[in-house]
Amino acid sequence: MKTLGLEFYKIKRRKVILTMLAFLGVQALWGLWALNDPKDWELASGWMSLLYSLSVLDGIMLPTVMSVLASRLADIEHKGNTYKQLETLRSAGSLYHAKAVCGLIILTGMILAQFAFFIFLGYCLGYTGNPDTKYYLLSFVLKLASNFVLFLLQLALSMLFANQMIPLVAGLCGSMVALLLMFVSTSSFLPWGGNLSAALVRMDWNETTRVITYYYRTFSPRETVDVIFIFVWIIVFYTMGRYLFTHREA
Amino acid sequence: MNLSVLKTIKAERLKLRRSPVWLAFFILPVISAFFGTANYTLNQGILKSEWYSLWTQHTLFLCYMFMPALIGTYCSYLWRLEHMRSNWNSFLTAPVSFLSLYLGKFVQAAMMIAAGNLWIFFLYLLCGKICGLPGLPPAAVLACFGCGILGGMVVCCVQLALSMRIRSFAIPIGIGLAGGIGGLLFTNKGLGLYYPYSLYSLGMRANNPKLKLDTGVFAISCIVYMILFSLLSVSGLKRHEN
Repeated sequence: MKTLGLEFYKIKRRKVILTMLAFLGVQALWGLWALNDPKDWELASGWMSLLYSLSVLDGIMLPTVMSVLASRLADIEHKGNTYKQLETLRSAGSLYHAKAVCGLIILTGMILAQFAFFIFLGYCLGYTGNPDTKYYLLSFVLKLASNFVLFLLQLALSMLFANQMIPLVAGLCGSMVALLLMFVSTSSFLPWGGNLSAALVRMDWNETTRVITYYYRTFSPRETVDVIFIFVWIIVFYTMGRYLFTHREA
Repeated sequence: MNLSVLKTIKAERLKLRRSPVWLAFFILPVISAFFGTANYTLNQGILKSEWYSLWTQHTLFLCYMFMPALIGTYCSYLWRLEHMRSNWNSFLTAPVSFLSLYLGKFVQAAMMIAAGNLWIFFLYLLCGKICGLPGLPPAAVLACFGCGILGGMVVCCVQLALSMRIRSFAIPIGIGLAGGIGGLLFTNKGLGLYYPYSLYSLGMRANNPKLKLDTGVFAISCIVYMILFSLLSVSGLKRHEN
Protein backbone atom coordinates (compact mmCIF):
# COMPACT_ATOMS: atom_id res chain seq x y z
CA MET A 1 0.00 0.00 0.00
CA LYS A 2 2.84 2.34 0.85
CA THR A 3 4.53 1.69 -2.50
CA LEU A 4 1.21 2.24 -4.27
CA GLY A 5 0.69 5.50 -2.39
CA LEU A 6 4.16 6.59 -3.47
CA GLU A 7 3.29 5.87 -7.09
CA PHE A 8 0.37 8.28 -6.87
CA TYR A 9 2.64 10.76 -5.09
CA LYS A 10 5.14 10.52 -7.98
CA ILE A 11 2.55 11.33 -10.60
CA LYS A 12 1.20 14.27 -8.63
CA ARG A 13 1.37 17.39 -10.86
CA ARG A 14 2.45 15.24 -13.82
CA LYS A 15 -1.04 15.71 -15.23
CA VAL A 16 -1.43 11.97 -15.89
CA ILE A 17 -5.07 11.97 -14.86
CA LEU A 18 -5.66 15.20 -16.79
CA THR A 19 -4.19 13.53 -19.88
CA MET A 20 -6.57 10.60 -19.50
CA LEU A 21 -9.46 13.03 -19.02
CA ALA A 22 -8.41 14.73 -22.25
CA PHE A 23 -8.85 11.44 -24.10
CA LEU A 24 -12.27 11.08 -22.53
CA GLY A 25 -12.94 14.63 -23.70
CA VAL A 26 -12.17 13.58 -27.29
CA GLN A 27 -14.56 10.65 -26.94
CA ALA A 28 -17.18 12.94 -25.41
CA LEU A 29 -16.84 15.35 -28.33
CA TRP A 30 -17.21 12.47 -30.72
CA GLY A 31 -20.32 11.34 -28.83
CA LEU A 32 -21.85 14.81 -28.92
CA TRP A 33 -21.18 15.01 -32.66
CA ALA A 34 -22.02 11.48 -33.81
CA LEU A 35 -24.98 10.71 -31.56
CA ASN A 36 -26.60 14.10 -31.90
CA ASP A 37 -30.17 14.32 -33.27
CA PRO A 38 -31.09 10.61 -33.31
CA LYS A 39 -33.97 9.27 -35.43
CA ASP A 40 -36.79 7.20 -33.91
CA TRP A 41 -35.24 3.84 -34.75
CA GLU A 42 -31.94 5.07 -33.28
CA LEU A 43 -33.66 6.04 -30.04
CA ALA A 44 -35.19 2.57 -29.77
CA SER A 45 -31.84 0.82 -30.03
CA GLY A 46 -29.85 3.65 -28.44
CA TRP A 47 -28.49 1.77 -25.42
CA MET A 48 -27.26 -1.09 -27.59
CA SER A 49 -25.74 1.22 -30.19
CA LEU A 50 -23.90 3.00 -27.37
CA LEU A 51 -22.19 -0.22 -26.28
CA TYR A 52 -21.30 -0.97 -29.90
CA SER A 53 -19.87 2.50 -30.58
CA LEU A 54 -17.83 2.50 -27.38
CA SER A 55 -16.24 -0.84 -28.21
CA VAL A 56 -15.20 0.45 -31.65
CA LEU A 57 -13.91 3.75 -30.30
CA ASP A 58 -12.00 2.10 -27.45
CA GLY A 59 -10.60 -0.56 -29.75
CA ILE A 60 -8.97 2.13 -31.87
CA MET A 61 -7.96 4.64 -29.23
CA LEU A 62 -7.05 2.69 -26.13
CA PRO A 63 -3.93 0.85 -27.38
CA THR A 64 -2.32 4.26 -27.88
CA VAL A 65 -3.89 5.76 -24.75
CA MET A 66 -2.59 2.84 -22.69
CA SER A 67 0.88 3.32 -24.16
CA VAL A 68 0.76 6.98 -23.11
CA LEU A 69 -0.40 6.06 -19.59
CA ALA A 70 2.24 3.36 -19.15
CA SER A 71 4.93 5.63 -20.53
CA ARG A 72 3.97 8.42 -18.11
CA LEU A 73 4.15 6.01 -15.16
CA ALA A 74 7.49 4.54 -16.23
CA ASP A 75 9.47 7.42 -17.67
CA ILE A 76 9.82 9.16 -14.31
CA GLU A 77 12.12 6.31 -13.27
CA HIS A 78 14.10 6.45 -16.50
CA LYS A 79 14.52 10.22 -16.29
CA GLY A 80 15.63 10.15 -12.68
CA ASN A 81 17.62 6.95 -13.15
CA THR A 82 16.09 5.83 -9.89
CA TYR A 83 15.92 2.06 -10.27
CA LYS A 84 19.07 1.23 -8.37
CA GLN A 85 18.23 3.56 -5.53
CA LEU A 86 14.65 2.27 -5.33
CA GLU A 87 15.85 -1.31 -5.20
CA THR A 88 17.75 -0.56 -2.01
CA LEU A 89 14.46 0.51 -0.40
CA ARG A 90 12.04 -2.12 -1.74
CA SER A 91 12.04 -5.07 -4.09
CA ALA A 92 11.87 -4.48 -7.85
CA GLY A 93 8.84 -6.78 -7.95
CA SER A 94 6.84 -4.64 -5.54
CA LEU A 95 7.71 -1.51 -7.54
CA TYR A 96 6.42 -3.19 -10.70
CA HIS A 97 3.31 -4.41 -8.89
CA ALA A 98 2.60 -0.91 -7.55
CA LYS A 99 2.83 0.57 -11.04
CA ALA A 100 0.50 -2.10 -12.43
CA VAL A 101 -2.07 -1.47 -9.68
CA CYS A 102 -1.72 2.30 -10.09
CA GLY A 103 -2.48 1.91 -13.81
CA LEU A 104 -5.42 -0.37 -13.05
CA ILE A 105 -6.92 2.19 -10.68
CA ILE A 106 -6.55 5.00 -13.24
CA LEU A 107 -8.00 2.78 -15.98
CA THR A 108 -10.97 1.82 -13.79
CA GLY A 109 -11.63 5.49 -13.09
CA MET A 110 -11.38 6.28 -16.80
CA ILE A 111 -13.85 3.61 -17.86
CA LEU A 112 -16.23 4.51 -15.03
CA ALA A 113 -16.15 8.16 -16.13
CA GLN A 114 -16.67 7.09 -19.74
CA PHE A 115 -19.71 4.97 -18.87
CA ALA A 116 -21.13 7.67 -16.62
CA PHE A 117 -20.82 10.31 -19.34
CA PHE A 118 -22.30 8.21 -22.12
CA ILE A 119 -25.19 6.92 -19.99
CA PHE A 120 -25.92 10.52 -19.02
CA LEU A 121 -25.76 11.46 -22.73
CA GLY A 122 -28.11 8.58 -23.56
CA TYR A 123 -30.69 9.89 -21.10
CA CYS A 124 -30.27 13.45 -22.42
CA LEU A 125 -30.85 12.22 -25.98
CA GLY A 126 -33.98 10.39 -24.85
CA TYR A 127 -32.99 6.79 -25.56
CA THR A 128 -35.92 4.44 -25.01
CA GLY A 129 -35.98 2.66 -21.64
CA ASN A 130 -32.94 2.16 -19.45
CA PRO A 131 -29.53 0.63 -20.09
CA ASP A 132 -29.54 -3.14 -19.64
CA THR A 133 -27.71 -3.45 -16.30
CA LYS A 134 -26.50 -6.99 -16.90
CA TYR A 135 -24.92 -6.18 -20.27
CA TYR A 136 -23.52 -2.85 -19.16
CA LEU A 137 -21.88 -4.42 -16.08
CA LEU A 138 -20.46 -7.28 -18.12
CA SER A 139 -19.25 -4.86 -20.76
CA PHE A 140 -17.56 -2.77 -18.05
CA VAL A 141 -15.71 -5.79 -16.64
CA LEU A 142 -14.62 -7.08 -20.07
CA LYS A 143 -13.56 -3.63 -21.22
CA LEU A 144 -11.52 -3.17 -18.05
CA ALA A 145 -9.86 -6.54 -18.53
CA SER A 146 -9.10 -6.11 -22.24
CA ASN A 147 -7.59 -2.68 -21.73
CA PHE A 148 -5.66 -3.80 -18.67
CA VAL A 149 -4.02 -6.35 -20.99
CA LEU A 150 -2.88 -3.50 -23.22
CA PHE A 151 -1.69 -1.50 -20.22
CA LEU A 152 0.37 -4.43 -18.87
CA LEU A 153 1.94 -5.02 -22.27
CA GLN A 154 2.81 -1.35 -22.58
CA LEU A 155 4.04 -1.14 -18.99
CA ALA A 156 6.44 -4.00 -19.62
CA LEU A 157 7.78 -2.25 -22.72
CA SER A 158 7.97 1.16 -21.05
CA MET A 159 9.82 -0.19 -18.03
CA LEU A 160 12.28 -2.14 -20.15
CA PHE A 161 13.12 0.52 -22.73
CA ALA A 162 14.51 3.85 -21.59
CA ASN A 163 13.73 5.21 -25.04
CA GLN A 164 9.98 5.70 -24.82
CA MET A 165 9.64 5.91 -28.58
CA ILE A 166 9.65 2.11 -28.83
CA PRO A 167 6.65 1.42 -26.54
CA LEU A 168 4.72 4.34 -27.99
CA VAL A 169 5.22 3.12 -31.55
CA ALA A 170 4.14 -0.33 -30.36
CA GLY A 171 0.98 1.31 -29.00
CA LEU A 172 0.33 3.04 -32.32
CA CYS A 173 0.84 -0.20 -34.22
CA GLY A 174 -1.53 -1.84 -31.73
CA SER A 175 -4.22 0.74 -32.52
CA MET A 176 -3.72 0.10 -36.21
CA VAL A 177 -3.94 -3.68 -35.78
CA ALA A 178 -7.07 -3.30 -33.61
CA LEU A 179 -8.77 -1.15 -36.21
CA LEU A 180 -7.93 -3.44 -39.09
CA LEU A 181 -8.96 -6.54 -37.14
CA MET A 182 -12.45 -5.07 -36.96
CA PHE A 183 -12.69 -5.41 -40.74
CA VAL A 184 -11.59 -8.99 -40.97
CA SER A 185 -12.98 -10.68 -37.86
CA THR A 186 -15.56 -10.56 -35.07
CA SER A 187 -13.03 -11.53 -32.42
CA SER A 188 -9.34 -12.17 -32.05
CA PHE A 189 -7.05 -13.85 -29.58
CA LEU A 190 -4.45 -11.10 -30.12
CA PRO A 191 -3.99 -8.67 -27.22
CA TRP A 192 -5.16 -5.74 -29.40
CA GLY A 193 -8.28 -7.65 -30.39
CA GLY A 194 -9.57 -7.70 -26.79
CA ASN A 195 -12.01 -4.83 -27.27
CA LEU A 196 -13.32 -6.55 -30.39
CA SER A 197 -13.72 -9.95 -28.71
CA ALA A 198 -15.32 -8.37 -25.64
CA ALA A 199 -17.90 -6.36 -27.61
CA LEU A 200 -21.31 -7.60 -26.51
CA VAL A 201 -23.25 -5.89 -29.28
CA ARG A 202 -22.99 -6.48 -33.02
CA MET A 203 -24.79 -4.84 -35.88
CA ASP A 204 -26.38 -5.58 -39.24
CA TRP A 205 -26.46 -2.93 -41.92
CA ASN A 206 -29.35 -3.13 -44.36
CA GLU A 207 -28.17 -1.61 -47.62
CA THR A 208 -31.64 -1.00 -49.06
CA THR A 209 -33.37 0.50 -46.01
CA ARG A 210 -30.10 2.04 -44.73
CA VAL A 211 -31.12 1.02 -41.22
CA ILE A 212 -28.74 -0.54 -38.73
CA THR A 213 -30.01 -3.34 -36.51
CA TYR A 214 -28.15 -3.91 -33.27
CA TYR A 215 -28.31 -7.17 -31.35
CA TYR A 216 -26.62 -8.83 -28.38
CA ARG A 217 -24.17 -11.32 -29.76
CA THR A 218 -24.09 -15.01 -29.03
CA PHE A 219 -20.54 -16.16 -28.54
CA SER A 220 -19.40 -19.09 -30.66
CA PRO A 221 -16.91 -21.53 -29.04
CA ARG A 222 -14.01 -19.82 -30.88
CA GLU A 223 -15.17 -16.37 -29.75
CA THR A 224 -15.48 -17.64 -26.17
CA VAL A 225 -11.89 -18.85 -26.33
CA ASP A 226 -10.87 -15.38 -27.54
CA VAL A 227 -12.60 -13.83 -24.52
CA ILE A 228 -10.83 -16.29 -22.22
CA PHE A 229 -7.58 -15.25 -23.89
CA ILE A 230 -8.05 -11.73 -22.49
CA PHE A 231 -7.56 -13.11 -18.97
CA VAL A 232 -4.75 -15.38 -20.11
CA TRP A 233 -2.91 -12.32 -21.51
CA ILE A 234 -3.28 -10.53 -18.16
CA ILE A 235 -1.45 -13.36 -16.42
CA VAL A 236 1.13 -13.71 -19.20
CA PHE A 237 1.97 -10.01 -19.50
CA TYR A 238 2.03 -9.39 -15.75
CA THR A 239 4.27 -12.38 -15.08
CA MET A 240 6.51 -11.73 -18.06
CA GLY A 241 6.79 -7.98 -17.37
CA ARG A 242 7.53 -8.50 -13.69
CA TYR A 243 10.10 -11.21 -14.42
CA LEU A 244 11.90 -9.18 -17.08
CA PHE A 245 11.84 -6.06 -14.93
CA THR A 246 13.19 -7.76 -11.81
CA HIS A 247 15.93 -9.48 -13.80
CA ARG A 248 17.16 -6.42 -15.71
CA GLU A 249 20.21 -4.53 -14.64
CA ALA A 250 18.97 -1.37 -12.98
CA MET B 1 19.93 27.85 -48.19
CA ASN B 2 21.64 29.70 -45.37
CA LEU B 3 24.87 28.07 -44.18
CA SER B 4 23.77 28.01 -40.53
CA VAL B 5 20.60 26.15 -41.53
CA LEU B 6 22.71 23.53 -43.26
CA LYS B 7 24.78 23.22 -40.10
CA THR B 8 21.70 22.70 -37.93
CA ILE B 9 20.34 20.11 -40.36
CA LYS B 10 23.66 18.29 -40.14
CA ALA B 11 23.57 18.52 -36.35
CA GLU B 12 20.05 17.06 -36.27
CA ARG B 13 21.16 14.24 -38.54
CA LEU B 14 23.97 13.48 -36.14
CA LYS B 15 21.55 13.40 -33.20
CA LEU B 16 19.36 10.90 -35.04
CA ARG B 17 22.24 8.73 -36.19
CA ARG B 18 21.64 5.02 -35.53
CA SER B 19 18.32 5.83 -33.90
CA PRO B 20 15.55 3.37 -34.79
CA VAL B 21 12.97 6.14 -35.21
CA TRP B 22 12.57 5.46 -38.95
CA LEU B 23 11.32 1.97 -38.08
CA ALA B 24 7.94 3.38 -37.11
CA PHE B 25 7.51 4.91 -40.56
CA PHE B 26 8.45 1.55 -42.01
CA ILE B 27 6.18 -0.71 -39.91
CA LEU B 28 2.84 1.17 -39.82
CA PRO B 29 2.47 1.50 -43.62
CA VAL B 30 3.34 -2.21 -43.94
CA ILE B 31 0.51 -3.16 -41.55
CA SER B 32 -1.85 -0.83 -43.40
CA ALA B 33 -0.78 -2.17 -46.81
CA PHE B 34 -1.14 -5.78 -45.68
CA PHE B 35 -4.68 -5.37 -44.33
CA GLY B 36 -5.64 -2.91 -47.10
CA THR B 37 -4.63 -5.34 -49.82
CA ALA B 38 -6.37 -8.24 -48.06
CA ASN B 39 -9.55 -6.17 -47.75
CA TYR B 40 -9.33 -5.11 -51.40
CA THR B 41 -8.80 -8.69 -52.58
CA LEU B 42 -11.72 -9.99 -50.50
CA ASN B 43 -14.13 -7.24 -51.60
CA GLN B 44 -13.43 -6.84 -55.29
CA GLY B 45 -17.17 -7.17 -55.93
CA ILE B 46 -17.73 -3.77 -54.25
CA LEU B 47 -14.35 -2.15 -54.83
CA LYS B 48 -14.35 -1.86 -58.61
CA SER B 49 -12.14 1.15 -59.26
CA GLU B 50 -8.92 -0.90 -59.37
CA TRP B 51 -5.93 1.37 -58.57
CA TYR B 52 -8.19 4.00 -57.00
CA SER B 53 -9.89 1.45 -54.73
CA LEU B 54 -6.58 0.01 -53.66
CA TRP B 55 -5.28 3.49 -52.83
CA THR B 56 -8.26 4.08 -50.53
CA GLN B 57 -7.76 0.74 -48.82
CA HIS B 58 -4.07 1.45 -48.26
CA THR B 59 -4.32 5.00 -47.03
CA LEU B 60 -7.73 5.56 -45.43
CA PHE B 61 -7.01 4.73 -41.80
CA LEU B 62 -3.30 5.32 -41.99
CA CYS B 63 -3.74 8.92 -43.10
CA TYR B 64 -6.77 9.83 -41.04
CA MET B 65 -5.71 8.46 -37.70
CA PHE B 66 -2.21 7.16 -37.49
CA MET B 67 0.04 9.42 -39.54
CA PRO B 68 -0.60 12.47 -37.32
CA ALA B 69 0.38 10.38 -34.27
CA LEU B 70 3.34 8.91 -36.12
CA ILE B 71 4.54 12.36 -37.17
CA GLY B 72 4.01 13.31 -33.52
CA THR B 73 6.31 10.48 -32.47
CA TYR B 74 9.03 11.68 -34.81
CA CYS B 75 8.69 15.31 -33.69
CA SER B 76 8.77 14.27 -30.01
CA TYR B 77 11.92 12.35 -30.76
CA LEU B 78 13.48 15.38 -32.43
CA TRP B 79 13.00 17.42 -29.22
CA ARG B 80 13.72 14.54 -26.86
CA LEU B 81 17.40 15.29 -26.47
CA GLU B 82 16.78 18.97 -25.70
CA HIS B 83 14.40 18.07 -22.87
CA MET B 84 17.03 15.91 -21.21
CA ARG B 85 19.20 17.26 -18.40
CA SER B 86 20.50 20.76 -19.24
CA ASN B 87 20.69 20.29 -22.99
CA TRP B 88 18.51 23.33 -23.61
CA ASN B 89 21.50 25.46 -22.55
CA SER B 90 23.81 24.06 -25.19
CA PHE B 91 21.03 24.05 -27.79
CA LEU B 92 20.09 27.68 -27.27
CA THR B 93 23.67 28.91 -27.04
CA ALA B 94 24.63 27.41 -30.41
CA PRO B 95 26.06 30.21 -32.60
CA VAL B 96 23.14 30.19 -35.03
CA SER B 97 19.79 31.96 -35.12
CA PHE B 98 16.66 30.55 -33.48
CA LEU B 99 15.10 30.25 -36.91
CA SER B 100 18.02 28.07 -38.07
CA LEU B 101 17.67 25.88 -34.98
CA TYR B 102 14.01 25.39 -35.73
CA LEU B 103 14.54 24.83 -39.45
CA GLY B 104 17.11 22.14 -38.72
CA LYS B 105 14.40 20.12 -37.00
CA PHE B 106 11.68 21.01 -39.47
CA VAL B 107 13.71 19.97 -42.52
CA GLN B 108 14.57 16.68 -40.84
CA ALA B 109 10.89 16.01 -40.11
CA ALA B 110 9.84 17.05 -43.64
CA MET B 111 12.40 14.67 -45.12
CA MET B 112 11.01 11.83 -43.03
CA ILE B 113 7.47 12.65 -44.24
CA ALA B 114 8.70 12.54 -47.85
CA ALA B 115 10.48 9.23 -47.23
CA GLY B 116 7.39 7.85 -45.45
CA ASN B 117 5.16 8.85 -48.36
CA LEU B 118 7.58 7.29 -50.83
CA TRP B 119 7.40 4.07 -48.84
CA ILE B 120 3.57 4.18 -48.81
CA PHE B 121 3.61 4.73 -52.58
CA PHE B 122 6.09 1.90 -53.17
CA LEU B 123 3.97 -0.53 -51.10
CA TYR B 124 0.90 0.59 -53.03
CA LEU B 125 2.61 -0.07 -56.34
CA LEU B 126 3.97 -3.42 -55.20
CA CYS B 127 0.63 -4.62 -53.76
CA GLY B 128 -1.19 -3.42 -56.88
CA LYS B 129 1.06 -5.55 -59.02
CA ILE B 130 0.70 -8.53 -56.66
CA CYS B 131 -3.10 -8.13 -56.94
CA GLY B 132 -2.71 -8.19 -60.73
CA LEU B 133 -3.87 -4.62 -61.42
CA PRO B 134 -3.14 -3.58 -65.01
CA GLY B 135 -0.63 -0.91 -66.01
CA LEU B 136 0.57 1.78 -63.65
CA PRO B 137 -1.34 3.87 -61.06
CA PRO B 138 -3.19 6.87 -62.54
CA ALA B 139 -1.52 10.29 -62.48
CA ALA B 140 -4.10 11.54 -59.97
CA VAL B 141 -2.52 9.30 -57.35
CA LEU B 142 0.84 10.98 -57.97
CA ALA B 143 -0.82 14.32 -57.22
CA CYS B 144 -2.12 12.83 -53.95
CA PHE B 145 1.43 11.89 -53.10
CA GLY B 146 2.71 15.46 -53.58
CA CYS B 147 -0.18 17.11 -51.72
CA GLY B 148 0.23 14.55 -48.95
CA ILE B 149 3.79 15.69 -48.33
CA LEU B 150 2.63 19.30 -48.09
CA GLY B 151 -0.20 18.39 -45.70
CA GLY B 152 2.18 16.27 -43.65
CA MET B 153 4.51 19.24 -43.28
CA VAL B 154 1.68 21.17 -41.61
CA VAL B 155 1.21 18.38 -39.06
CA CYS B 156 5.00 18.48 -38.54
CA CYS B 157 4.87 22.20 -37.70
CA VAL B 158 2.02 21.68 -35.21
CA GLN B 159 3.69 18.72 -33.55
CA LEU B 160 7.09 20.42 -33.42
CA ALA B 161 5.49 23.37 -31.64
CA LEU B 162 3.77 21.04 -29.16
CA SER B 163 6.78 18.81 -28.50
CA MET B 164 8.99 21.83 -27.96
CA ARG B 165 6.75 23.08 -25.17
CA ILE B 166 5.68 19.76 -23.62
CA ARG B 167 8.50 17.94 -21.87
CA SER B 168 6.70 14.60 -21.93
CA PHE B 169 7.50 12.37 -24.87
CA ALA B 170 4.11 10.68 -24.82
CA ILE B 171 1.58 13.51 -24.49
CA PRO B 172 2.18 15.15 -27.91
CA ILE B 173 1.72 11.72 -29.52
CA GLY B 174 -1.63 11.36 -27.78
CA ILE B 175 -2.56 14.85 -28.97
CA GLY B 176 -1.56 13.76 -32.49
CA LEU B 177 -3.88 10.76 -32.31
CA ALA B 178 -6.72 12.84 -30.89
CA GLY B 179 -6.05 15.51 -33.54
CA GLY B 180 -6.20 12.90 -36.29
CA ILE B 181 -9.50 11.50 -35.02
CA GLY B 182 -10.80 15.06 -34.65
CA GLY B 183 -9.79 15.56 -38.27
CA LEU B 184 -12.41 13.00 -39.27
CA LEU B 185 -15.11 15.21 -37.81
CA PHE B 186 -13.83 18.35 -39.53
CA THR B 187 -13.42 16.60 -42.90
CA ASN B 188 -16.89 15.12 -42.55
CA LYS B 189 -18.36 18.59 -41.99
CA GLY B 190 -16.48 19.91 -45.05
CA LEU B 191 -14.13 21.97 -42.88
CA GLY B 192 -11.02 19.85 -43.46
CA LEU B 193 -9.15 22.64 -45.26
CA TYR B 194 -9.29 24.77 -42.12
CA TYR B 195 -8.11 22.18 -39.62
CA PRO B 196 -4.35 21.40 -39.63
CA TYR B 197 -4.68 17.70 -38.77
CA SER B 198 -7.05 17.12 -41.70
CA LEU B 199 -4.70 18.52 -44.30
CA TYR B 200 -2.56 15.40 -44.60
CA SER B 201 -5.49 13.05 -45.26
CA LEU B 202 -7.11 15.61 -47.56
CA GLY B 203 -3.88 16.00 -49.51
CA MET B 204 -3.56 12.24 -49.81
CA ARG B 205 -7.26 12.01 -50.83
CA ALA B 206 -7.39 9.05 -48.52
CA ASN B 207 -11.17 8.88 -48.66
CA ASN B 208 -11.53 9.40 -52.39
CA PRO B 209 -8.61 9.68 -54.84
CA LYS B 210 -10.96 11.14 -57.48
CA LEU B 211 -11.87 13.99 -55.12
CA LYS B 212 -11.65 17.42 -56.76
CA LEU B 213 -9.45 19.20 -54.28
CA ASP B 214 -9.09 22.94 -54.69
CA THR B 215 -5.30 22.83 -54.72
CA GLY B 216 -4.99 26.62 -54.52
CA VAL B 217 -6.97 26.85 -51.27
CA PHE B 218 -5.26 23.71 -50.01
CA ALA B 219 -1.78 25.14 -50.65
CA ILE B 220 -2.69 28.50 -49.08
CA SER B 221 -4.12 26.76 -46.02
CA CYS B 222 -0.97 24.63 -45.68
CA ILE B 223 1.36 27.62 -46.05
CA VAL B 224 -0.61 29.76 -43.58
CA TYR B 225 -0.58 26.99 -40.94
CA MET B 226 3.10 26.25 -41.54
CA ILE B 227 4.05 29.91 -41.08
CA LEU B 228 1.79 30.30 -38.05
CA PHE B 229 3.08 27.26 -36.15
CA SER B 230 6.71 27.88 -37.19
CA LEU B 231 6.45 31.44 -35.82
CA LEU B 232 4.97 30.05 -32.61
CA SER B 233 7.88 27.63 -32.27
CA VAL B 234 10.55 30.23 -33.02
CA SER B 235 9.02 32.75 -30.61
CA GLY B 236 8.78 29.92 -28.06
CA LEU B 237 12.49 29.27 -28.52
CA LYS B 238 13.27 32.94 -27.96
CA ARG B 239 11.33 32.99 -24.70
CA HIS B 240 12.42 29.55 -23.56
CA GLU B 241 13.69 29.11 -20.04
CA ASN B 242 15.23 25.96 -18.69
